[in-house]
Amino acid sequence: MTAAAVELTPRLRTWSAFRRNPLGVASAIVLVLLALVAVCAPLIAPFPEGYGADTSQPPSAAHWFGTDDIGQDVFAQVVWGTRVSMAVGVSASVLAIVIGLLIGVSAAYFRRLDTPLGVLVDLSLSLPVLPLMILVAALAGPSVRTLAVVIALFSWPEVARVVRSQAIAIVPMPFVSAAKVVGGSSLWIVRKHLLPGVIPVVGVSVVLTTSRAVLAEAGLSFLGLGDPNSWSWGTILHKAQQSGALATAWWTTLFPSLAILLLVVSTTLLSVAYNDARDHRNSS
Amino acid sequence: MRFIGLRLARGLLTLWFAVTVTFFLVRLLPGDPVTAVADPNMTEALRQKLLADFGLDKPLAAQYLDYLGQLLHGNLGMSFRQSIPVTTVLMERLPWTLILTVSAMVVTIVLGIPLGVLAATRARGWVDRVIQITGVTAQSLFVPSVGIFLMYLLGVWLRWFPIGGAVDLDATGFAATLSMLHHLVLPCLSLVLIQLGGYVLTMRTTLIEALGEDYVSLAKAKGVRPGTVVWKHALRNALLPTTTIAGLQLGTLVGGAVLTETIYAYPGVGRAIYEAVGQLDFPVLQGAFVLLAAAVVAANLITDVAYGILDPRVRTS
Repeated sequence: MTAAAVELTPRLRTWSAFRRNPLGVASAIVLVLLALVAVCAPLIAPFPEGYGADTSQPPSAAHWFGTDDIGQDVFAQVVWGTRVSMAVGVSASVLAIVIGLLIGVSAAYFRRLDTPLGVLVDLSLSLPVLPLMILVAALAGPSVRTLAVVIALFSWPEVARVVRSQAIAIVPMPFVSAAKVVGGSSLWIVRKHLLPGVIPVVGVSVVLTTSRAVLAEAGLSFLGLGDPNSWSWGTILHKAQQSGALATAWWTTLFPSLAILLLVVSTTLLSVAYNDARDHRNSS
Repeated sequence: MRFIGLRLARGLLTLWFAVTVTFFLVRLLPGDPVTAVADPNMTEALRQKLLADFGLDKPLAAQYLDYLGQLLHGNLGMSFRQSIPVTTVLMERLPWTLILTVSAMVVTIVLGIPLGVLAATRARGWVDRVIQITGVTAQSLFVPSVGIFLMYLLGVWLRWFPIGGAVDLDATGFAATLSMLHHLVLPCLSLVLIQLGGYVLTMRTTLIEALGEDYVSLAKAKGVRPGTVVWKHALRNALLPTTTIAGLQLGTLVGGAVLTETIYAYPGVGRAIYEAVGQLDFPVLQGAFVLLAAAVVAANLITDVAYGILDPRVRTS
């Protein structure tokens, strides 16, 4: 290796290792494309509403993904669905990460909080989450915001567990004791020493939590708890189920299903690639 | 016995937590907490009477104690739409959900063990690669999509299996049992496909670890046949962590059952949840969660205790 390569920071090394992984790069590209579709939805297709003339048509040149039982274009539904599915996925994940970070770091740093917070996380993880989310979402009334909050509310325990296990290894380090000795406040130590140490782990967590949140959103919408005024991939499946198109019009379910699969598989592969790239022992 | 007592206490704590969380979530949510028991379409007089019946005019602490007391008597309130106790509605449905989840669990284990062994004994070979990639992908599948796919392929297209319901109502005796199994295949298979990936991957990791232990080297050195080493020595020790993971996955299994039952119009608790969502029947939703949480806690307790009896190491940890 040349002298220049030796000076690479860990972050740059991770990036260069990541760039050499075709699966990781492909996943990243797919995710960027999906995000573009979400942002540019109005430019790609008109918002699906009202009744159309061509009902239950299979895919054709005019309707790429076919039409549903009231004549709406399934392609437009999937495009607009990308927006809500990704928005709910990302915002629920961000919220869950923030709560998980707070709880995880507090549990690791403040020894007295560790046991009660640990019990709270254990208990939350051993409950069947979907029925609980259904109950809360039904009571709070269906809307995009409800979905994001409800999903975040029941997704943070896993993040908290991961963050705690990482942070607990940092707390006994000499530099943390040194910071305490020089009179650093708890908040300052957490911000300056603990958070930078757990951020790399959180990187993977963000990706996985987002894909789980997308699946949760699709599940809730499929059961009829989606925002009635907007489209998401789960909502399209819900409408197909309600109209009885499930067993007849394959195109109404195949395309939203593929969209979910594409998003979730690429996030999973992205996190695997990121983990591999971060593990510098593999590359020599 | 101290071990069983501890696990029992843990189970009860989980259950209390589930019940308490629902109680406070229902009452602290934005909007009228009354919606949890009173139908918005009711007349004012009926509504007031119902509120008094449910004790919703009392202070929160008193309500909470009442609620716990009612639960201990198995009372989960009344369904709005069907005017019968929630317990009756759900108990009619519970056997179907149990049949579905237990059969899915059994099939997953029966398929998972040999696949895990296959991957672990050929670690880093191409069989292992295929199993790993399929496992990771299977974990990211959306349950209804899998259900719909299987329904098209095996139900609509090949016509091998019925695509809805749980049993032919005309069938009697042995024919009814056969029809029940016939209806069970597709929903069960959907759940197995979702569960299998995680199970095999865990099995693979723990088995590879077990194969590196000293007692495996000793057995090999003694000249024990390789097959016996894997199946009799290493596998037994690898099963324990795998079962713990299976216990943790119970929540996912229950969630999957809710979605699968919806797809196949399978008359279990999950389908009841779907119907209750459509009708905004909150007591049924609340009762279903409490019931499913209790089922998960009970299943975890049973596996824990069974393994405690089989493997003395668990009792001390």
